[in-house]
Amino acid sequence: MARPGQPRILTAGDMGILVEFGDRYDPAINAAVLAFDGEFEKRRPDGVIETVPTFRSFLVRFDPIELPYERLKDMLQEMLVARDWYQAGPPARSRKWVLPAVYGGMRGPDLGEVADLMGLREDQVIDSHAGALLTVAMLGFAPGLAYLGQLDPVWDFPRRTTLNPEVPAGAVLVAVRQTVLPSTPIPTGWRQIARTPFRSFNPNSKTPFLLRPGDRVRFEPVDEAAYAAYAAYDMDALLHEEGP
Amino acid sequence: MSGLEILTIAATATVQDRGRPGYLRYGVTSSGAMDEYALAEGQALLGNGRDDAALEFAGMGGRFRARGAMWLATSGAEMDLRVNGAPQPWRQSFMLEQGDQLDIGAARSGVYGYLHVAGGFLTERVLGSRSTLRRAGLGHRLEAGQVLPVGVQPREAVPVMLPAPAYFDQRRLHLLWGPQSEVFPKAERARLLAETITVTPQRDRMGMRLALQGGGIDAADGLTIASDAINLGDIQVTGDGTPTVLLADRGSSGGYPRIATVVTADLPALVQIPAGQSFGFDLLNREQAVEALARHRKMLVALPSMVVPVTRDPRDIGDLLSYNLISGVTDGGEFDPD
Repeated sequence: MARPGQPRILTAGDMGILVEFGDRYDPAINAAVLAFDGEFEKRRPDGVIETVPTFRSFLVRFDPIELPYERLKDMLQEMLVARDWYQAGPPARSRKWVLPAVYGGMRGPDLGEVADLMGLREDQVIDSHAGALLTVAMLGFAPGLAYLGQLDPVWDFPRRTTLNPEVPAGAVLVAVRQTVLPSTPIPTGWRQIARTPFRSFNPNSKTPFLLRPGDRVRFEPVDEAAYAAYAAYDMDALLHEEGP
Repeated sequence: MSGLEILTIAATATVQDRGRPGYLRYGVTSSGAMDEYALAEGQALLGNGRDDAALEFAGMGGRFRARGAMWLATSGAEMDLRVNGAPQPWRQSFMLEQGDQLDIGAARSGVYGYLHVAGGFLTERVLGSRSTLRRAGLGHRLEAGQVLPVGVQPREAVPVMLPAPAYFDQRRLHLLWGPQSEVFPKAERARLLAETITVTPQRDRMGMRLALQGGGIDAADGLTIASDAINLGDIQVTGDGTPTVLLADRGSSGGYPRIATVVTADLPALVQIPAGQSFGFDLLNREQAVEALARHRKMLVALPSMVVPVTRDPRDIGDLLSYNLISGVTDGGEFDPD
């Protein structure tokens, strides 16, 4: 099988190095990024400010006066050649969340439109979405907002060309074989098929961010009564499994 | 309650410190003062710690009243400043007595002005920082009627001042090519370095939209890329060819290609360029950019040693200020990485 990409080390401003594993979202490329991120964290040198794993790349923001560029680059290069990161597969220590969600109705106003796009009945759309074990490919755009992948090819429809000025926190949004789960209200072109009481981001909590890149997520259809009960729930309790 | 009471305040005013790096991987950009040099000036004038918070004004200030005596200082873009109606010089520390009224008007030059208080403004900290990130609802939201808690006030102090820095007049800025530069045709990259660039009024803490003399930038190979992380200073080009420099409150990731990245050392100069004014970009290599950063850091570290007591009415000593500037403290050349 051809490798899905060829890793490149690139300068990203005077305080950044980018390790690019590919030019698109592909679960194998993303798995390489997440595995590389896990390995880098174990040997993170002084002078690294922060790191950002994304769909297809790994950004290291660093202080080039404390940590010379060449030293960091050599270290990243050594890590890259040490193994075939594209064969990494899912993270060894991924965590699994089961998130309750109310599909359709006021909680998922675009469910009917999505069913039409997919040529399925609404209950089939729900079964397909809730039946998928998704991976947090990256967090970005807004605090705690998770991009989850990857749904079956039947979910490969584009985002809307117009922007919905606001969807609420916990909206379950879909397009391009992905699910986006915001923890704050956001404007969006993605379609909302459900809503979960789960919030990945809570600035006042001891663990302000619950979802991490590489975590596994499954949505569980629930009714309004269960949704209301969960709203007062400890979100940590939605973490069902630690470990592989 | 003692503190600084807000009587009126511009909608664009925020609380800012050095920001909250470390959360980019969770979708939170660092925020922090748009002009880190100006933030450091205020800390130097008041002997504050590096992480103390100030009020940042984007071109317009507000009206305040002292609840209790306190030491304040101003920095960054020079703004109209009055205490009980009497004009005051900028970039100095000064004391307010209980009940004194402070007016901060429009910026006279530059964009971002800062009001600092001894011990910093003690608004709530979120994720280790007091910086307001309005888009995400993080940090304190300033509103009329609030009394902002302030740090412990010094028993004794004298008014001090700093010379005006040179970067407000800097109109050659520097950039590095980045990971997506090659998405853009060579001719378009050349235009970015050759043409006069104007700052548009579409600018805020998220970014500054720029206008090239010869029109929008053509990204021949495609206008979107698979999302990845956005660096401070990245110049993003959207579908219509508009270049935007992404700044402290930018989104953490994005799918528009970025043609280049403005060097860190030039960000204070960039953000202080008023709308309608023009500048040009020069290309640096990475080594030169790091040298510029080292010089920039040296200047920040040197600020406390540049503070001098206000010995007479500073409006009479304009000549003395310029004398100081060229007599060895700084020749202003530190901001010119060539």
